[in-house]
Amino acid sequence: MVPLAPVNWDAYQADGVAALAAATDADAVEEARVRFLGRKAALPLALREVRDRETGMLLNTVRKAIEEAAAEAELRLAAAVAGRGLDFDPTEPASLHGGALPAGSLHPITQTRREIEDVFLGLGYEVIDGREVETTRYNFDALNFPDWHPARSPLASLFFDRDRLLRTETSPSQIRTMETRKPPIYMVSHGRVYRRDATDATHYPVFHQIEGLAIDRGLTLADLKGTLLHLMRALFGPQREVRFRTHYFPFTEPSMEPDVSCFLCDGKGCRVCKHSGWIEMGGSGMVDPKLFEFVGYDPEEYTGFAFGLGIERIVQLRHGVPDIRLLWHNDLRVLRQF
Amino acid sequence: MKVPVDWLRDYVPLEMPLDELAHRLAVTSCEVERVSRRGIPWENGNHDLFVVGHVLSAEKHPNADRLQLCKVDVGETEPAQIVCGAWNFGAGATVAVARPGATMPDGLVLERRKLRGEVSEGMILSERELELSQDHDGIMVLAAPGAADAPRPGTPLAELFALSEDILEVEVTGNRPDLLSVYGIAREVAALYGLPLAPPPGVAPSLSGDEKIAIDIQDAVGCPRYIGRVFRDVKVGPSPAWLKARVLGAGMRPISNIVDITNYVMVAFGSPLHAFDLDRLAEQRIVVRRAGAGEKMEILGGVEYTFDARDLLICDGAGPVAIAGIKGGEATGVTETTTNVLLEAANFEPHELLATSERLRLRTDGSNRWEKGVDPHAAGRAATLATQLIVELAGARWTGDNDVHQGLPGREVIALRPARTDAIIGVVTPPAQQTALLTSLGFDVAEGALTGPDFPGGAGQPTLSVTVPTWRARDIAREIDVVEEIARFQLDALPATLPARRELFGTLTEAQRLRRRVEDVLVGAGLAEAYTGTLTGHDPDPRALRLPDPLGGDQEVMRTRLLNGLVESAERNINVGTAGVALFEIARVYLPAPADGDLPDERWHVAGIVEGGYFRAKAVVELLLSAFRADWAFEPAADLGDLGQGARLRGRGAAADGGPAGGGPVGGTVSLLPAATLDGAWGTFEIDLPLLFAAVPGHTTYEDVVTFPSVKNDIAVVVDEGVASGDLLAAVREAGGPELGEAAVFDVYRGGQVSQGAKSVAISLSFRSPERTLADEDAAVHRARILKTLAERFGATLRG
Repeated sequence: MVPLAPVNWDAYQADGVAALAAATDADAVEEARVRFLGRKAALPLALREVRDRETGMLLNTVRKAIEEAAAEAELRLAAAVAGRGLDFDPTEPASLHGGALPAGSLHPITQTRREIEDVFLGLGYEVIDGREVETTRYNFDALNFPDWHPARSPLASLFFDRDRLLRTETSPSQIRTMETRKPPIYMVSHGRVYRRDATDATHYPVFHQIEGLAIDRGLTLADLKGTLLHLMRALFGPQREVRFRTHYFPFTEPSMEPDVSCFLCDGKGCRVCKHSGWIEMGGSGMVDPKLFEFVGYDPEEYTGFAFGLGIERIVQLRHGVPDIRLLWHNDLRVLRQF
Repeated sequence: MKVPVDWLRDYVPLEMPLDELAHRLAVTSCEVERVSRRGIPWENGNHDLFVVGHVLSAEKHPNADRLQLCKVDVGETEPAQIVCGAWNFGAGATVAVARPGATMPDGLVLERRKLRGEVSEGMILSERELELSQDHDGIMVLAAPGAADAPRPGTPLAELFALSEDILEVEVTGNRPDLLSVYGIAREVAALYGLPLAPPPGVAPSLSGDEKIAIDIQDAVGCPRYIGRVFRDVKVGPSPAWLKARVLGAGMRPISNIVDITNYVMVAFGSPLHAFDLDRLAEQRIVVRRAGAGEKMEILGGVEYTFDARDLLICDGAGPVAIAGIKGGEATGVTETTTNVLLEAANFEPHELLATSERLRLRTDGSNRWEKGVDPHAAGRAATLATQLIVELAGARWTGDNDVHQGLPGREVIALRPARTDAIIGVVTPPAQQTALLTSLGFDVAEGALTGPDFPGGAGQPTLSVTVPTWRARDIAREIDVVEEIARFQLDALPATLPARRELFGTLTEAQRLRRRVEDVLVGAGLAEAYTGTLTGHDPDPRALRLPDPLGGDQEVMRTRLLNGLVESAERNINVGTAGVALFEIARVYLPAPADGDLPDERWHVAGIVEGGYFRAKAVVELLLSAFRADWAFEPAADLGDLGQGARLRGRGAAADGGPAGGGPVGGTVSLLPAATLDGAWGTFEIDLPLLFAAVPGHTTYEDVVTFPSVKNDIAVVVDEGVASGDLLAAVREAGGPELGEAAVFDVYRGGQVSQGAKSVAISLSFRSPERTLADEDAAVHRARILKTLAERFGATLRG
């Protein structure tokens, strides 16, 4: 047996890796592989003679590094060949355009709407398509709006005549749903609603609302809070909290406005939450027994909760869109961001 | 409403940090928009540098004609020398002085400095410099020379009136007019923190006379109560500093003692008052009535209003003197020369008053309260406090009283089941705690009877008998309303739970699922989703629903098609230089109902617009149809009106309605937009989604296309130019029999050996049987049958 000449394995590894990195064709790769890893190369010979663990481990490291360099070289060359087939410059496979397929986009309102729908589908709710041209009966009377309520004024709402108007909230669909079936009801309804609002950065005479209604035996205000907490965490992150502030709506009693803890500053106070740590999200409450009377449910047997949120507001908050009008301009420079 | 915190402290001993108070009020009672501050900064003992000064001498400044050089006793051994620009005082006057080092409201720090060669040690202050008013005509004279009650020199000004105030700015919901008052807020704070609430302020002085002016209420619904009080020897003048500070703190401008008192009392109790100059009231009597049509009156500020029969007016013997609850008239208001006053403390019905206020576009601090419903009992408390202040601050004698009403409403008693409260809220509030909370809010609570046998929720449940305070009468009439009172104090303690479900449902409807797919297919085709307005300026359907009073001419008509909005959006994109515009929208259109007055048919449509012309649009539609496996045909349409030319889409249903391809109703259009509409070549489409979805095969059953290979066979036939390829294909499918798989036009050729006026249409066919491998002979049979049909129907000949 011929005693092996001592080898500097660090240099051996460096030479092998360098030779493979420099290879510009398959022959060069093969030549380097034979020279450093082939049957008669120094490394396999040495490995065969190894008797102690320390040397074995060292040699294996060297072998692994050279094998990886060989695989990388083969991949690189294969990509270059494939690239020629696809008719692009093989030297810049990552930075050049793949082709002319245009990318479409879902409007951010639709994206958020779908997310909310999916949250409630997951909670076992139905999605109900309401209608937009409504009667005062469904838009106001059945929702317990008193005769004098300001929303009934043509100064606040858009009327076609005495009896017909553009819905001012999505709630009429709740009445239409309740009229046609018995509890339990778990539904969300969304779509365009209309108000005679002056247009500014956060108001537009048309906007999208999403409204939920749950009616069952034994539902409580705490269930409403838990439901909204689940939604807010889905929309704004798992760390979010929800609080209620008392409020007044004709169709709920008690009525509350839900706030979500600010997702930007984590409740510490910032510009988005106006330094309060909380962001107003909409309206909610326990369904007023008057509504049950209207549709013939027994308020002693069933209780329910309802809530309504503005989708544009959620979109503006989540994506930092400063002006609601940007959501209606359909400027592709904007839409393609989403 | 602005609530000065010092004022609040008059009624409830609050000591908590204001931020915390603001948070808790916001949760239980009303929105707190901000905590702001008015007046002199108090930090670092700054208030100590504002003191009473006694002017010892005041002479012209030796080097300046318009300045005075004063020696002022500020309570120290040596008088201070102060240079002053005002001339409305002289030696002997008691004034307000800021010493060197004092920080003013605008942040300016006073220094001892020379003015025209004379040292000035501080500043003699005007009301504006103290943020007590806008008055900068002269300095503030605290007491005239020789006044017996003049404060001593050196007295801190803070002992005379509030130098600075923290102010809670609250916004109150429509059901809580009782919170539009400092006392009402104090009641909430007391209930929130378990603090004692001071009794309502105001102690009536004794009545020195029995003048009863006549009050004739002709509309007791509009005006259920009218208190008229007469005051004689009234000295109208500026209010004392404390009152000015209060009025300013509440966000109003001090005017005169009488007007300031009415405003102060309104803010204290939420029940607005009005003061008339009694001598200017014709016949010195009051009539409350609805206006005659066209009746007119000039209000303060010289603006004239015209009324109709719905407006409630306060009149004297000659005519209107005030719009009830909204605004007083110019001619009968209190002025500097007034000596006799009639104080009105009334009650007005909210809803007609709101309508009047909206019609006249006139909103005031008064109307804002009346329109929400003010407690009729509050008028009495307000009259008492105002009477006390008019006598004390304007040196008046109270000589007459008249309180006209037909009985004040009693208090509602409601049975509350404490267990019901818990069942609604979802947390347990022990009955004793419910009782304590309601009591602190002014309810009277007693042990109630058990629910009776007729009770819908079951007999034998314990109840509390809850008597509603008069100031909550409009809002609280049912058990659930009382439950809300408990609930709003439990909101921070509320756990987050989820409903326990016994039945589960919760899937999208088929139409909703398909709409999502339409969105996804079009996004995949490279279109961006757009949202355009429901209301437009013009619509192709002359019967489209119109708003009689639109927001603007371009938002008048309910659209019956989506494309117009997309064309506008495309144009906006072109104008900003965006290339490759491709947009779609899924939304509703509103097809007018056959009968006027019925609700329109709201149908979901999808529409799109793409740069690149008709065939780009058609490619998108074909992709959509094939994604849905919808068997629809295109039929030529030379004129689609403003959409240009293109094709209509029609289902291949059984019910033929005479269309060239037979089938169902027209479900949409694809068009080449006229070049004049937009620069470049643009294709559009619009499809009625319910019709499209009706054409979607509902259920897919596996068909064996794998076991036996298909036989492909192409044909090319020559037909007249006028024969549509689509019609040829339809006939091919009809004639092909069950073993015909796919059939598609792959080439149309003109010229060469094809004669003028004819074209060659090449169609690829494939035949397949689920039972056996077809032989070429089988395909030949089918092919011959197809060719025969084409020859019979279209005169088609097989091209060589």
